[in-house]
Amino acid sequence: MITMKTYLLGVLCVLSGGALSAQQQPPAGESPYRIAGRLPVRIMDFKVEPATIDAGQSVTLSWATENPTSVTIDPLGRVAPRGQQKLTPSVTTTYTLSVTGASNSSDKRTVTVVVKGTKPGASPADANSRVPKAVPRTADGHPDLSGVYGYGAGGRGGPPPAPGALPTTPVLKPGAEKFKVARAADDTGQYSTCMPPGIPQSFSVPYYIQIVQAPKHIVIAHEYLNLHRIIPTDGRSHPPDPDPSWMGNAVGRWEGDTLVIDSIGYNDKTEINGYRHTESLHVVERISRPEVNTLQYEATIEDPNVFAGPWVMKRTFPLLPEYDSINEFVCENNRDYKPLFGK
Amino acid sequence: MKRYLFLLALLMSLAAPLSAHHSTAMYEMANPTTISGTVKRFEWTNPHAFIYLDVKDEKGNVVEWEIELMSLNHLRSYGWIRTTVKPGDQITCTGGRAKSGAPSMISALLKLPDGRELKS
Repeated sequence: MITMKTYLLGVLCVLSGGALSAQQQPPAGESPYRIAGRLPVRIMDFKVEPATIDAGQSVTLSWATENPTSVTIDPLGRVAPRGQQKLTPSVTTTYTLSVTGASNSSDKRTVTVVVKGTKPGASPADANSRVPKAVPRTADGHPDLSGVYGYGAGGRGGPPPAPGALPTTPVLKPGAEKFKVARAADDTGQYSTCMPPGIPQSFSVPYYIQIVQAPKHIVIAHEYLNLHRIIPTDGRSHPPDPDPSWMGNAVGRWEGDTLVIDSIGYNDKTEINGYRHTESLHVVERISRPEVNTLQYEATIEDPNVFAGPWVMKRTFPLLPEYDSINEFVCENNRDYKPLFGK
Repeated sequence: MKRYLFLLALLMSLAAPLSAHHSTAMYEMANPTTISGTVKRFEWTNPHAFIYLDVKDEKGNVVEWEIELMSLNHLRSYGWIRTTVKPGDQITCTGGRAKSGAPSMISALLKLPDGRELKS
C-alpha cells in the first residue's frame, strides 16, 4: 500500500525534474536548510601574538569560528564569529573563547598572555566594556538609542491586541481590495527587485540596523540596500507638500523616553504586510530602549484610501555589542529568476 | 489530504532560513540535490554570493553550475570570509536545483576540500 507520505515524496521527486545520476543525493523530503541547521559549531583558530610581553606592551588576539550561534571571549564579552582585537593586559591573563551552535554543540579554547613580572589575574582594561549596565543617556537627558541591532522578531500576527488597542493586522477599507497584493507563481517577492522596501518594511528584513544619535538628529541606517534616514529632532515640522519618496519625510520628537517619528511623503511603490498603499500613507513610529540590550519598535500605519483604520506593527531588536557598524550592501549581483522556474 | 498538505507546508516553512532577499520558489527545495565539482569563480557579492562550479556529468562532460548562496551578512555570521572558497577547490554543495532543469541551484550547506561543512 502506498502511504500518503510516499505519494507526496514521489510527486515532489517528479516535479524536481529528475536527479543527477552521477551525484550522490541526500534523502528526499528534508529541506537542505534543515540539514544545514544541524551543522555543529567549531573553533578554527584562537591565538594571541606575542604570547609574552613586558608591562605596557600590547598583544593581538585573533579568532575564527564556523557555524556559531553565539561567540564570547571571557573576559571581553560577545564578539563576532571572526575578528581581531588589540589588548594591553596589565597582568598575566587567560582568555577563553566559547562558542555554541546547533544540536547542542559547543567548543572552548584558552590562550594566556604572560606579562613579565606579574601574577595571573584580571586586567581592569579587559573588563567587559562593550555593554553598559544601564541604558546610557545623552547630555540632554534622553536615552541614547545608538548601537547596532540584529534581526528583529515579531511583526505579523502575534497575540491579539488588548481591548481598546489598535489592531495588529490591517483591515481593508470596503472597495479597496485592489490594494491586496496577489503574486504570480513565478514572482519572487517584493524584495527581489532590489528596490527600497520603505517604512516600516525596512525593519522587517533580516539585516542589521544602526542608530546614531546626535543632539539635533537621529540617523537610522539599514544595512539592507544601504538605506538611511536622517531624522531631525529639533522640533521642526514636515515641509509643505514633500516630494513622494521611498523612505518618506520624517520628523522626530521625544515623548518621555520614547522617540516618536512622524512620517509622510511616501511614494506608492512599496508594500506593507501584503498590501500596497497610496501617497497618503502616514506612519508614526515609536522607538524605545526599555533595557540596554533591547530596542522596541512600534509603527502605527494609516492610509485612508486603503485601510479601514490605523493598525500597529511591533517588533523587538537585540543589541549587537560586538559590532561597531553595519556593513555596506550594494545590490550589484541581482538576477532575473524567472527562467529558473521552467514551464 | 488537505490537513496533511497544510502540515507539510508548515514543516517546510519552519525549515526555511530567514528569507533574506527572495523566495526560493524557483528551486526544488523538497528534493535536495548534492553536486561536487571544482570551483571556477567565487563572487563575494550582495544581494547573494555565487560560486561557479565545473561539474562532470554522467558522460564525463564538464558542465558549469551556478551556485547561489545567502547574502554576505548571513555568510559572515556563519564564519565566512571572501577567501573561504577559492578557485580550484573541490567542493560539494547541497541545496535545491532550479525547477527548469538548468544547471543552477541554491546551496544551503557545502563541504570544503578539508571536509569542513559550512552553512551557506
